[in-house]
Amino acid sequence: MRRVLVFLWLAVLTASPGARAAAPSIISNLANPAIGVNGLFLCQGAPDLDQAYGMRPGEAEISVISTVDPYWTLTVYFVLDAQSALAEEAFATTTKIPGVTLKLGQLRASFGKHGLLHTHAFPFVQAPVISVNTLGEEGFKDAGAEAAWMTPLPWFCELTLGAYQALPADPDHALDFGAVSRGNMPGLAHLKNLVDVDDDTTLEVGGSAIEGLGSDGMHHAVWGADLTVRNVPLRQSNERGWTVQAEFLHKEAYGGGVYDQEAFGWYGSLQYRWAQTWWTGVRVQEAYRSFTDTLLDSTGTPEPGYTRGASANISYLPSEFSQIRLEYSALRATGVDGSRALDRRLMLQFSFIIGFHALHAY
Amino acid sequence: MIEKEDCMNILRRIIVGTVLSLIAAAASADLKVATSIEDLASVATFVGGAHVKAFSLCKGYQDPHFVPAKPSLMRLIRDADVFVSVGLGLDEGWLPLVLPGSRNPRIQPGAPGFVDASEGVAVIDKPVGTVSRAEGDVHPLGNPHYYMDPANLIVVASHLARVFAELDPANATVYERNAKAFAAKMQAQSKAWEATLAPYHGASIVTFHRNFEYFLARFGLKRFGTVEPRPGIPPAPRYLAELAASMKREGVRVVVYQPYFDANASRGLASRAGGAAVEAPTEVGGVPEAGDVFAKFQVDVDRIAVALQAGAAR
Repeated sequence: MRRVLVFLWLAVLTASPGARAAAPSIISNLANPAIGVNGLFLCQGAPDLDQAYGMRPGEAEISVISTVDPYWTLTVYFVLDAQSALAEEAFATTTKIPGVTLKLGQLRASFGKHGLLHTHAFPFVQAPVISVNTLGEEGFKDAGAEAAWMTPLPWFCELTLGAYQALPADPDHALDFGAVSRGNMPGLAHLKNLVDVDDDTTLEVGGSAIEGLGSDGMHHAVWGADLTVRNVPLRQSNERGWTVQAEFLHKEAYGGGVYDQEAFGWYGSLQYRWAQTWWTGVRVQEAYRSFTDTLLDSTGTPEPGYTRGASANISYLPSEFSQIRLEYSALRATGVDGSRALDRRLMLQFSFIIGFHALHAY
Repeated sequence: MIEKEDCMNILRRIIVGTVLSLIAAAASADLKVATSIEDLASVATFVGGAHVKAFSLCKGYQDPHFVPAKPSLMRLIRDADVFVSVGLGLDEGWLPLVLPGSRNPRIQPGAPGFVDASEGVAVIDKPVGTVSRAEGDVHPLGNPHYYMDPANLIVVASHLARVFAELDPANATVYERNAKAFAAKMQAQSKAWEATLAPYHGASIVTFHRNFEYFLARFGLKRFGTVEPRPGIPPAPRYLAELAASMKREGVRVVVYQPYFDANASRGLASRAGGAAVEAPTEVGGVPEAGDVFAKFQVDVDRIAVALQAGAAR
């Protein structure tokens, strides 16, 4: 037996390296998905927060995208941070139905403007206060299905209808859709209109609503309206441009003769690009009945209040794949009992992209 | 108060209008062809003739790398029969949003109506070894500006004729005949352009981006350098100063740029080097005189020849 093993070992050792190298594999890697990673790091000084100055835990988003077959494309986004690693989105898309895009899986719901953005695509480091209080910091994410129909109107007019799994509120979901009744299927409607004002400028007007039954037996809903004017000079599309955007969001609960206006507010922003490598932006915002990081009651528990504030930033993009952003933000919050709190932050954010980068919607 | 007769008149007008619209639609082109860039629309128009209505999503004076993926572009191609992409990654910054966004199954990759125009073209500048973005925004599949060589457009015309024939067999012979006529005209014109640039064979020029490589190879010119230090990376003043110094030292006096690139950087560089900057379009429609692919090459050849002649006289 030992002789046989020695013979086999020698046979392996003396086999032609060329022959070994040429051995065909039955597994092909030609159809591997496109993979990309976005790394986001933040350095922050916030005198009103009980936090040390310096680097904050970063976030990495891994995107994996591939055509499944002639009918479907699969997209998965994994998010890794200091606390967790999770598949934030995993959805299949098909465009085989004329006029309609069908999407199903773990989705970021097509609600409003800011709610569609991944963290690295935020135009300002932090999400608007009213977005966090109505949909969640990164929009409404849940398992479900959406159909987006491009209507035959003379301008771009898209109607999206969606249905999602019923989930209670948690730190990632600001909306309570947790009723266990069989008929509780939260639904969304989103209308997006975009017209070309001229070759360089577009006007976009949108409206969104999402509604479901909460674990308290009440109907919970958010509706919103958005307006965006964008200018990208065609001759200098990589050097100049500006975007003015405003969004209003309103969150409410109703049922059994009770109506509760839970939170509402708006933000307005201007982003201006004056060179291939430089962007700047300003944003103002107001939010009513909303929670912030600094407004606490006498027991130290966050309490809702009125918040207004502004942010300004400047971004340097040495290439398409990296960005350094310096931002100052100040929020002033007033509680229902008249208590006041400030939230001032100076932030330096670094963003890096490697591999394939899924494109951002216009 | 609307009378019954008025109602009948309105109804009659609607019916007549609808019938006229249907007649107009029936009389219009057999194939609606959308393309990434104007050059491909120009070739499609030559090949398709009266049977094709071709249009480009990217204007000729627009950088084809950075087309804003406006939803209005998606709407424009929602009923297109054919989409012709440049391929080789030139339009990968916007096409992956616009094509699926059109919700038009006929023109998605893999469908008979999707054409990668780079198929069959002899591609140059394919990276060897490790492909890294340390070299800038490189195209891993090779240089995608193949439409700057007249010979490559003959390949594209032949490819389009085959696709149009498959989708519209009734006019297959027309498409084949038109593609052959296009090839004959392009070959004849190429000889004239080669003759115009022959006195400057081996001359060096500076281009803003590496989008003139096919043109230079075809007409016997050389690239001395580029205004941008690496693809997609804007030039720093020190880099431009060093490039100007080496241009002066080597006697290179022509800088070529496109309408969508920073003209001031090119003019400043040329001025420092004691030469001239020339706006030469790489895409049809880049300048008003470049109305189709033949006119574009004519403009490029004429402008570069004049600049090289002036540079030699200095």
